[in-house]
Amino acid sequence: MISQVQKLVFMGEESKMLKVTFSNGIESCVPKDEANKDYQEILQWVADGNTIQEAD
Amino acid sequence: MAFATIDLTKGITGVLPSANATYSTPRLNAQPLIINGDMAVAQRATSTSSITSDGFHTLDRFQTHISSLGTWTQSQDTDVPSGQGFANSLKMDCTTADASPSAGDFCIIRTKFEGQDLQLFKKGTSNAEKFTLAFWVKSSKTGTHIVELFDIDNSRTVSQAYTISSADTWEKKVVNFPADTTGAFGDDNGRSLDIQFWLGTGTTYSSGTLQTTWAGQTNANRAVGQVNLADSTSNNWYITGLQLEVGEYTSSTLPPFQHESYEDNLQRCQRYYEKSFEQGTTPAAGTSAPDGRVFGSWDGASARTQIDFATTKRASPTVTVYRGSNAGSGTATGTANFIYSGAWNNHTCVSNHADDSQVSLTGSTSNFTTNGAFVADMNFTADAEL
Repeated sequence: MISQVQKLVFMGEESKMLKVTFSNGIESCVPKDEANKDYQEILQWVADGNTIQEAD
Repeated sequence: MAFATIDLTKGITGVLPSANATYSTPRLNAQPLIINGDMAVAQRATSTSSITSDGFHTLDRFQTHISSLGTWTQSQDTDVPSGQGFANSLKMDCTTADASPSAGDFCIIRTKFEGQDLQLFKKGTSNAEKFTLAFWVKSSKTGTHIVELFDIDNSRTVSQAYTISSADTWEKKVVNFPADTTGAFGDDNGRSLDIQFWLGTGTTYSSGTLQTTWAGQTNANRAVGQVNLADSTSNNWYITGLQLEVGEYTSSTLPPFQHESYEDNLQRCQRYYEKSFEQGTTPAAGTSAPDGRVFGSWDGASARTQIDFATTKRASPTVTVYRGSNAGSGTATGTANFIYSGAWNNHTCVSNHADDSQVSLTGSTSNFTTNGAFVADMNFTADAEL
Protein backbone atom coordinates (compact mmCIF):
# COMPACT_ATOMS: atom_id res chain seq x y z
CA MET A 1 0.00 0.00 0.00
CA ILE A 2 1.33 3.41 -0.99
CA SER A 3 1.25 6.27 1.52
CA GLN A 4 3.15 8.97 -0.36
CA VAL A 5 4.93 9.55 -3.67
CA GLN A 6 7.38 12.35 -4.36
CA LYS A 7 9.38 13.44 -7.40
CA LEU A 8 13.18 13.49 -7.20
CA VAL A 9 15.43 16.12 -8.77
CA PHE A 10 19.15 15.73 -9.31
CA MET A 11 21.40 18.40 -10.78
CA GLY A 12 18.36 20.45 -11.68
CA GLU A 13 16.65 17.70 -13.68
CA GLU A 14 13.66 15.61 -12.69
CA SER A 15 14.72 12.02 -12.13
CA LYS A 16 13.22 8.96 -13.78
CA MET A 17 12.83 7.62 -10.24
CA LEU A 18 10.08 8.43 -7.74
CA LYS A 19 10.49 8.30 -3.96
CA VAL A 20 7.70 6.19 -2.49
CA THR A 21 6.74 5.67 1.13
CA PHE A 22 4.77 2.49 1.67
CA SER A 23 2.28 1.97 4.48
CA ASN A 24 4.80 -0.21 6.34
CA GLY A 25 7.13 2.81 6.55
CA ILE A 26 9.65 1.58 3.98
CA GLU A 27 10.98 4.29 1.65
CA SER A 28 11.97 3.08 -1.80
CA CYS A 29 12.82 4.51 -5.20
CA VAL A 30 10.60 3.32 -8.04
CA PRO A 31 11.55 3.73 -11.70
CA LYS A 32 9.02 5.18 -14.12
CA ASP A 33 8.95 1.86 -15.96
CA GLU A 34 5.52 0.45 -16.72
CA ALA A 35 6.96 -3.06 -16.38
CA ASN A 36 7.73 -2.34 -12.71
CA LYS A 37 4.89 -3.58 -10.49
CA ASP A 38 5.34 -0.74 -8.00
CA TYR A 39 5.11 1.85 -10.77
CA GLN A 40 1.95 0.11 -11.97
CA GLU A 41 0.63 0.53 -8.43
CA ILE A 42 1.60 4.23 -8.46
CA LEU A 43 -0.28 4.76 -11.72
CA GLN A 44 -3.36 3.17 -10.15
CA TRP A 45 -2.84 5.23 -6.98
CA VAL A 46 -2.83 8.41 -9.09
CA ALA A 47 -5.85 7.21 -11.08
CA ASP A 48 -7.63 6.80 -7.75
CA GLY A 49 -7.24 10.53 -7.15
CA ASN A 50 -3.93 10.79 -5.29
CA THR A 51 -1.22 13.28 -6.16
CA ILE A 52 2.52 12.93 -6.60
CA GLN A 53 4.30 15.58 -4.52
CA GLU A 54 6.88 17.89 -6.03
CA ALA A 55 10.51 17.41 -5.07
CA ASP A 56 11.91 19.08 -1.94
CA MET B 1 5.10 -47.82 -15.96
CA ALA B 2 8.72 -48.77 -16.71
CA PHE B 3 10.56 -46.80 -19.30
CA ALA B 4 12.36 -48.53 -22.15
CA THR B 5 15.44 -50.63 -21.55
CA ILE B 6 18.06 -51.63 -24.08
CA ASP B 7 19.11 -55.27 -24.09
CA LEU B 8 21.93 -56.06 -26.51
CA THR B 9 20.32 -59.40 -27.38
CA LYS B 10 16.66 -58.26 -27.53
CA GLY B 11 17.01 -54.67 -28.64
CA ILE B 12 14.77 -51.99 -27.14
CA THR B 13 11.96 -53.21 -24.89
CA GLY B 14 9.38 -51.37 -22.82
CA VAL B 15 7.77 -48.07 -23.55
CA LEU B 16 9.74 -45.10 -24.75
CA PRO B 17 9.17 -41.95 -22.66
CA SER B 18 7.81 -40.10 -25.65
CA ALA B 19 5.00 -42.65 -25.91
CA ASN B 20 3.92 -42.03 -22.34
CA ALA B 21 2.71 -38.50 -22.76
CA THR B 22 0.92 -36.31 -25.25
CA TYR B 23 3.41 -33.48 -25.29
CA SER B 24 4.86 -32.39 -28.59
CA THR B 25 7.61 -30.10 -27.30
CA PRO B 26 10.23 -32.15 -25.45
CA ARG B 27 12.22 -30.08 -22.96
CA LEU B 28 15.23 -32.32 -22.54
CA ASN B 29 17.85 -30.80 -20.25
CA ALA B 30 15.91 -27.55 -19.99
CA GLN B 31 15.61 -25.61 -16.75
CA PRO B 32 12.42 -26.10 -14.73
CA LEU B 33 9.67 -23.70 -15.78
CA ILE B 34 8.80 -22.98 -12.14
CA ILE B 35 11.59 -21.09 -10.42
CA ASN B 36 12.34 -22.09 -6.82
CA GLY B 37 9.83 -24.95 -6.95
CA ASP B 38 11.89 -26.76 -4.32
CA MET B 39 11.51 -23.79 -1.93
CA ALA B 40 15.26 -23.51 -1.38
CA VAL B 41 15.69 -19.74 -1.80
CA ALA B 42 14.20 -17.30 0.72
CA GLN B 43 16.06 -14.01 0.32
CA ARG B 44 13.52 -11.75 2.02
CA ALA B 45 13.00 -13.81 5.19
CA THR B 46 12.61 -17.39 6.35
CA SER B 47 9.57 -16.64 8.48
CA THR B 48 7.05 -13.80 8.53
CA SER B 49 4.18 -13.56 10.99
CA SER B 50 0.95 -11.54 11.11
CA ILE B 51 0.37 -11.71 7.36
CA THR B 52 -2.86 -10.00 6.34
CA SER B 53 -1.77 -8.30 3.12
CA ASP B 54 -0.19 -9.10 -0.25
CA GLY B 55 3.52 -9.61 -0.48
CA PHE B 56 6.50 -11.78 -1.21
CA HIS B 57 6.93 -12.53 2.47
CA THR B 58 9.46 -15.38 2.51
CA LEU B 59 10.22 -17.70 -0.40
CA ASP B 60 11.38 -16.14 -3.64
CA ARG B 61 8.86 -16.12 -6.51
CA PHE B 62 5.93 -17.07 -4.25
CA GLN B 63 3.50 -14.31 -3.38
CA THR B 64 0.70 -14.28 -0.83
CA HIS B 65 -2.42 -12.69 -2.32
CA ILE B 66 -4.93 -12.11 0.45
CA SER B 67 -8.04 -10.13 1.22
CA SER B 68 -9.47 -10.27 4.75
CA LEU B 69 -9.23 -14.03 5.21
CA GLY B 70 -7.44 -14.84 8.44
CA THR B 71 -3.98 -13.98 9.70
CA TRP B 72 -1.05 -16.18 8.76
CA THR B 73 2.54 -17.00 9.51
CA GLN B 74 4.47 -18.05 6.42
CA SER B 75 7.78 -19.83 6.69
CA GLN B 76 10.41 -21.79 4.85
CA ASP B 77 10.03 -25.11 6.63
CA THR B 78 12.11 -28.27 6.78
CA ASP B 79 9.06 -30.55 6.86
CA VAL B 80 9.27 -32.30 3.48
CA PRO B 81 8.11 -35.52 1.81
CA SER B 82 10.49 -38.27 2.79
CA GLY B 83 12.98 -39.56 0.27
CA GLN B 84 12.14 -37.16 -2.55
CA GLY B 85 15.27 -35.02 -2.45
CA PHE B 86 13.60 -31.91 -1.08
CA ALA B 87 14.94 -30.04 1.95
CA ASN B 88 12.40 -27.23 2.23
CA SER B 89 8.73 -26.46 1.89
CA LEU B 90 6.53 -23.39 2.08
CA LYS B 91 4.33 -23.47 5.16
CA MET B 92 1.21 -21.42 5.79
CA ASP B 93 0.02 -21.47 9.39
CA CYS B 94 -3.30 -19.85 10.30
CA THR B 95 -2.85 -17.77 13.46
CA THR B 96 -6.16 -15.89 13.50
CA ALA B 97 -9.14 -17.77 12.17
CA ASP B 98 -12.00 -16.57 10.00
CA ALA B 99 -14.60 -19.32 9.92
CA SER B 100 -17.20 -17.19 8.14
CA PRO B 101 -15.56 -15.41 5.23
CA SER B 102 -17.31 -12.46 3.66
CA ALA B 103 -18.17 -12.89 0.00
CA GLY B 104 -15.05 -11.25 -1.40
CA ASP B 105 -12.51 -12.67 1.03
CA PHE B 106 -9.73 -14.94 -0.18
CA CYS B 107 -6.23 -16.18 0.48
CA ILE B 108 -4.02 -17.43 -2.37
CA ILE B 109 -0.40 -18.52 -2.77
CA ARG B 110 0.76 -17.85 -6.30
CA THR B 111 3.77 -17.76 -8.59
CA LYS B 112 3.92 -15.68 -11.78
CA PHE B 113 5.52 -16.13 -15.20
CA GLU B 114 6.84 -13.87 -17.92
CA GLY B 115 5.11 -14.41 -21.26
CA GLN B 116 8.40 -14.87 -23.09
CA ASP B 117 9.04 -17.98 -20.99
CA LEU B 118 5.71 -19.54 -21.92
CA GLN B 119 5.77 -19.44 -25.71
CA LEU B 120 6.38 -23.21 -25.81
CA PHE B 121 2.77 -23.73 -24.70
CA LYS B 122 1.68 -22.20 -28.05
CA LYS B 123 -1.37 -20.85 -26.30
CA GLY B 124 -3.81 -19.12 -28.57
CA THR B 125 -2.88 -21.25 -31.57
CA SER B 126 -4.36 -24.40 -33.08
CA ASN B 127 -1.30 -26.26 -31.80
CA ALA B 128 -1.77 -25.20 -28.19
CA GLU B 129 -0.33 -27.57 -25.57
CA LYS B 130 -1.86 -28.93 -22.39
CA PHE B 131 -0.40 -28.07 -18.99
CA THR B 132 0.58 -30.53 -16.27
CA LEU B 133 1.22 -29.22 -12.77
CA ALA B 134 2.71 -31.53 -10.15
CA PHE B 135 3.47 -30.79 -6.52
CA TRP B 136 3.75 -32.27 -3.03
CA VAL B 137 1.23 -30.96 -0.53
CA LYS B 138 0.41 -31.60 3.12
CA SER B 139 -2.34 -30.10 5.24
CA SER B 140 -4.25 -30.60 8.42
CA LYS B 141 -7.35 -29.79 6.36
CA THR B 142 -8.58 -32.66 4.21
CA GLY B 143 -11.00 -32.30 1.35
CA THR B 144 -11.22 -30.37 -1.88
CA HIS B 145 -8.62 -27.74 -2.72
CA ILE B 146 -8.41 -25.64 -5.88
CA VAL B 147 -5.45 -24.70 -8.05
CA GLU B 148 -5.97 -22.26 -10.91
CA LEU B 149 -4.12 -21.05 -14.00
CA PHE B 150 -4.80 -17.36 -14.66
CA ASP B 151 -3.91 -15.97 -18.09
CA ILE B 152 -3.24 -12.32 -17.24
CA ASP B 153 -2.83 -11.23 -20.87
CA ASN B 154 -6.29 -12.36 -21.89
CA SER B 155 -8.19 -12.52 -18.56
CA ARG B 156 -8.86 -16.21 -19.02
CA THR B 157 -8.82 -18.83 -16.28
CA VAL B 158 -9.03 -22.55 -15.72
CA SER B 159 -9.26 -24.34 -12.37
CA GLN B 160 -8.86 -27.90 -11.17
CA ALA B 161 -9.66 -29.51 -7.87
CA TYR B 162 -7.28 -31.75 -6.00
CA THR B 163 -8.12 -33.74 -2.90
CA ILE B 164 -6.11 -33.92 0.30
CA SER B 165 -7.08 -37.38 1.48
CA SER B 166 -5.18 -37.77 4.73
CA ALA B 167 -4.55 -35.06 7.29
CA ASP B 168 -0.96 -34.13 8.02
CA THR B 169 0.42 -36.48 5.37
CA TRP B 170 2.51 -35.56 2.34
CA GLU B 171 0.69 -36.40 -0.90
CA LYS B 172 1.87 -35.93 -4.47
CA LYS B 173 -0.61 -34.41 -6.88
CA VAL B 174 -0.45 -34.41 -10.66
CA VAL B 175 -3.02 -32.04 -12.11
CA ASN B 176 -3.82 -31.69 -15.82
CA PHE B 177 -5.09 -28.53 -17.45
CA PRO B 178 -6.43 -28.41 -21.01
CA ALA B 179 -4.83 -26.57 -23.89
CA ASP B 180 -6.22 -23.18 -24.85
CA THR B 181 -6.47 -22.23 -28.52
CA THR B 182 -7.68 -18.75 -27.57
CA GLY B 183 -5.52 -15.91 -26.32
CA ALA B 184 -1.75 -15.95 -26.82
CA PHE B 185 0.73 -15.12 -24.08
CA GLY B 186 2.64 -11.91 -24.81
CA ASP B 187 6.19 -12.58 -25.95
CA ASP B 188 7.75 -10.13 -23.52
CA ASN B 189 8.87 -9.63 -19.92
CA GLY B 190 5.38 -8.86 -18.68
CA ARG B 191 3.24 -10.95 -16.39
CA SER B 192 1.32 -13.47 -18.46
CA LEU B 193 0.40 -16.40 -16.23
CA ASP B 194 -0.21 -17.00 -12.53
CA ILE B 195 -0.45 -20.40 -10.88
CA GLN B 196 -2.76 -19.82 -7.94
CA PHE B 197 -3.30 -22.14 -4.99
CA TRP B 198 -6.48 -21.15 -3.16
CA LEU B 199 -6.45 -21.56 0.63
CA GLY B 200 -9.96 -20.27 1.16
CA THR B 201 -12.52 -17.87 -0.23
CA GLY B 202 -16.00 -16.41 0.10
CA THR B 203 -18.91 -16.86 -2.26
CA THR B 204 -17.73 -14.27 -4.80
CA TYR B 205 -15.23 -16.83 -6.08
CA SER B 206 -17.03 -20.06 -5.24
CA SER B 207 -20.76 -19.75 -5.83
CA GLY B 208 -20.82 -21.03 -9.42
CA THR B 209 -19.59 -24.15 -11.21
CA LEU B 210 -15.89 -24.91 -11.23
CA GLN B 211 -14.43 -23.79 -14.57
CA THR B 212 -12.30 -26.75 -15.65
CA THR B 213 -11.84 -25.61 -19.25
CA TRP B 214 -10.31 -22.31 -20.31
CA ALA B 215 -12.78 -19.43 -20.52
CA GLY B 216 -13.03 -15.76 -19.82
CA GLN B 217 -12.70 -14.80 -16.17
CA THR B 218 -15.90 -15.57 -14.25
CA ASN B 219 -15.13 -15.07 -10.57
CA ALA B 220 -17.92 -17.28 -9.26
CA ASN B 221 -16.44 -20.28 -11.08
CA ARG B 222 -12.84 -19.98 -9.97
CA ALA B 223 -12.62 -21.73 -6.58
CA VAL B 224 -15.82 -23.73 -6.21
CA GLY B 225 -15.52 -26.35 -3.48
CA GLN B 226 -12.38 -24.92 -1.87
CA VAL B 227 -12.24 -25.79 1.84
CA ASN B 228 -11.55 -22.92 4.21
CA LEU B 229 -8.04 -23.28 5.60
CA ALA B 230 -8.66 -20.14 7.63
CA ASP B 231 -11.46 -21.64 9.71
CA SER B 232 -9.20 -22.74 12.57
CA THR B 233 -5.87 -21.77 14.04
CA SER B 234 -5.08 -25.48 14.03
CA ASN B 235 -4.86 -25.38 10.24
CA ASN B 236 -1.68 -25.38 8.19
CA TRP B 237 -0.72 -26.07 4.58
CA TYR B 238 2.67 -27.07 3.16
CA ILE B 239 3.81 -27.28 -0.44
CA THR B 240 7.03 -28.14 -2.25
CA GLY B 241 8.33 -29.80 -5.40
CA LEU B 242 6.30 -27.69 -7.82
CA GLN B 243 6.76 -28.76 -11.41
CA LEU B 244 5.09 -27.43 -14.56
CA GLU B 245 5.33 -29.49 -17.73
CA VAL B 246 4.24 -28.99 -21.33
CA GLY B 247 1.72 -31.67 -22.27
CA GLU B 248 -0.40 -34.16 -20.39
CA TYR B 249 1.25 -36.51 -17.91
CA THR B 250 0.09 -38.93 -15.27
CA SER B 251 1.78 -39.82 -12.01
CA SER B 252 3.36 -42.72 -13.93
CA THR B 253 4.65 -40.76 -16.88
CA LEU B 254 5.62 -37.48 -15.22
CA PRO B 255 9.30 -36.67 -15.77
CA PRO B 256 11.34 -36.48 -12.58
CA PHE B 257 11.62 -33.16 -10.74
CA GLN B 258 14.60 -31.25 -12.13
CA HIS B 259 16.68 -30.39 -9.08
CA GLU B 260 18.90 -27.35 -9.62
CA SER B 261 21.96 -26.33 -7.65
CA TYR B 262 21.30 -23.64 -5.03
CA GLU B 263 23.47 -21.26 -7.05
CA ASP B 264 21.49 -21.78 -10.25
CA ASN B 265 18.23 -21.41 -8.37
CA LEU B 266 19.41 -18.24 -6.61
CA GLN B 267 20.59 -16.71 -9.87
CA ARG B 268 17.21 -17.31 -11.49
CA CYS B 269 15.49 -15.76 -8.44
CA GLN B 270 17.79 -12.73 -8.65
CA ARG B 271 16.28 -11.79 -12.00
CA TYR B 272 13.31 -10.74 -9.83
CA TYR B 273 14.88 -9.79 -6.50
CA GLU B 274 18.43 -9.13 -5.39
CA LYS B 275 19.93 -7.92 -2.15
CA SER B 276 23.37 -6.83 -1.00
CA PHE B 277 22.72 -8.43 2.39
CA GLU B 278 24.29 -11.82 2.99
CA GLN B 279 22.10 -14.77 2.06
CA GLY B 280 20.41 -15.81 5.28
CA THR B 281 20.12 -12.23 6.50
CA THR B 282 16.71 -10.60 6.40
CA PRO B 283 16.97 -7.10 4.90
CA ALA B 284 16.67 -4.51 7.65
CA ALA B 285 18.22 -1.25 8.75
CA GLY B 286 21.01 -1.51 11.27
CA THR B 287 22.41 -4.68 9.77
CA SER B 288 26.16 -4.97 9.55
CA ALA B 289 27.53 -4.01 6.13
CA PRO B 290 31.05 -4.17 4.66
CA ASP B 291 31.45 -0.39 5.10
CA GLY B 292 33.33 -0.28 1.83
CA ARG B 293 31.04 1.44 -0.65
CA VAL B 294 32.70 4.63 -1.86
CA PHE B 295 30.67 7.66 -2.94
CA GLY B 296 32.25 10.59 -4.77
CA SER B 297 31.05 14.17 -4.37
CA TRP B 298 31.24 16.67 -7.20
CA ASP B 299 29.68 19.66 -5.46
CA GLY B 300 30.10 19.26 -1.71
CA ALA B 301 26.39 18.53 -1.29
CA SER B 302 25.76 15.28 -3.13
CA ALA B 303 27.84 12.13 -3.56
CA ARG B 304 27.18 9.27 -5.96
CA THR B 305 28.08 5.63 -6.51
CA GLN B 306 27.13 2.97 -9.05
CA ILE B 307 26.43 -0.72 -8.40
CA ASP B 308 26.25 -3.45 -11.04
CA PHE B 309 23.61 -6.09 -10.33
CA ALA B 310 24.62 -9.74 -9.94
CA THR B 311 21.99 -10.74 -12.49
CA THR B 312 20.18 -8.83 -15.21
CA LYS B 313 16.79 -7.83 -13.91
CA ARG B 314 13.45 -8.57 -15.55
CA ALA B 315 12.78 -4.82 -15.63
CA SER B 316 14.05 -1.67 -13.94
CA PRO B 317 13.77 -2.54 -10.23
CA THR B 318 12.44 -0.75 -7.20
CA VAL B 319 15.48 0.12 -5.08
CA THR B 320 15.49 0.37 -1.30
CA VAL B 321 18.56 1.61 0.60
CA TYR B 322 19.02 0.49 4.21
CA ARG B 323 21.40 2.24 6.59
CA GLY B 324 23.99 -0.05 8.15
CA SER B 325 24.85 -0.64 11.79
CA ASN B 326 27.39 2.12 12.40
CA ALA B 327 24.92 4.90 13.12
CA GLY B 328 21.81 3.88 14.99
CA SER B 329 19.69 6.94 14.52
CA GLY B 330 17.99 8.31 11.49
CA THR B 331 15.43 6.94 9.10
CA ALA B 332 15.73 3.20 8.53
CA THR B 333 15.33 3.21 4.76
CA GLY B 334 16.21 5.83 2.20
CA THR B 335 19.36 6.64 4.16
CA ALA B 336 22.96 5.51 4.52
CA ASN B 337 25.71 6.14 7.04
CA PHE B 338 28.67 8.15 5.73
CA ILE B 339 31.95 8.63 7.53
CA TYR B 340 33.54 12.07 7.83
CA SER B 341 35.06 14.12 10.65
CA GLY B 342 35.97 10.86 12.35
CA ALA B 343 32.42 9.62 12.84
CA TRP B 344 29.56 7.86 11.08
CA ASN B 345 26.62 10.08 10.19
CA ASN B 346 23.23 9.17 8.80
CA HIS B 347 21.99 11.03 5.71
CA THR B 348 19.49 10.68 2.90
CA CYS B 349 20.52 8.18 0.22
CA VAL B 350 18.21 7.42 -2.70
CA SER B 351 18.42 5.94 -6.15
CA ASN B 352 18.72 8.49 -8.94
CA HIS B 353 18.74 5.81 -11.64
CA ALA B 354 18.02 2.10 -11.98
CA ASP B 355 17.84 -0.09 -15.06
CA ASP B 356 17.97 -3.83 -15.59
CA SER B 357 21.76 -3.95 -15.13
CA GLN B 358 22.76 -1.34 -12.56
CA VAL B 359 21.71 1.21 -10.01
CA SER B 360 23.10 4.63 -9.17
CA LEU B 361 22.73 5.97 -5.64
CA THR B 362 23.00 9.56 -4.43
CA GLY B 363 23.69 10.62 -0.84
CA SER B 364 23.00 14.15 0.32
CA THR B 365 24.54 16.33 3.04
CA SER B 366 26.27 19.69 3.13
CA ASN B 367 29.04 17.96 5.07
CA PHE B 368 30.42 16.46 1.89
CA THR B 369 33.39 18.25 0.32
CA THR B 370 33.79 18.95 -3.38
CA ASN B 371 35.79 16.21 -5.14
CA GLY B 372 35.83 14.23 -1.88
CA ALA B 373 35.33 10.47 -1.54
CA PHE B 374 33.18 9.12 1.29
CA VAL B 375 32.88 5.57 2.56
CA ALA B 376 29.29 4.48 3.18
CA ASP B 377 27.72 1.92 5.50
CA MET B 378 24.60 0.64 3.75
CA ASN B 379 22.81 -2.20 2.01
CA PHE B 380 20.21 -2.30 -0.72
CA THR B 381 17.52 -4.43 -2.29
CA ALA B 382 16.43 -4.36 -5.93
CA ASP B 383 12.93 -5.69 -6.65
CA ALA B 384 11.79 -6.44 -10.21
CA GLU B 385 9.10 -8.98 -9.33
CA LEU B 386 6.11 -9.50 -11.54
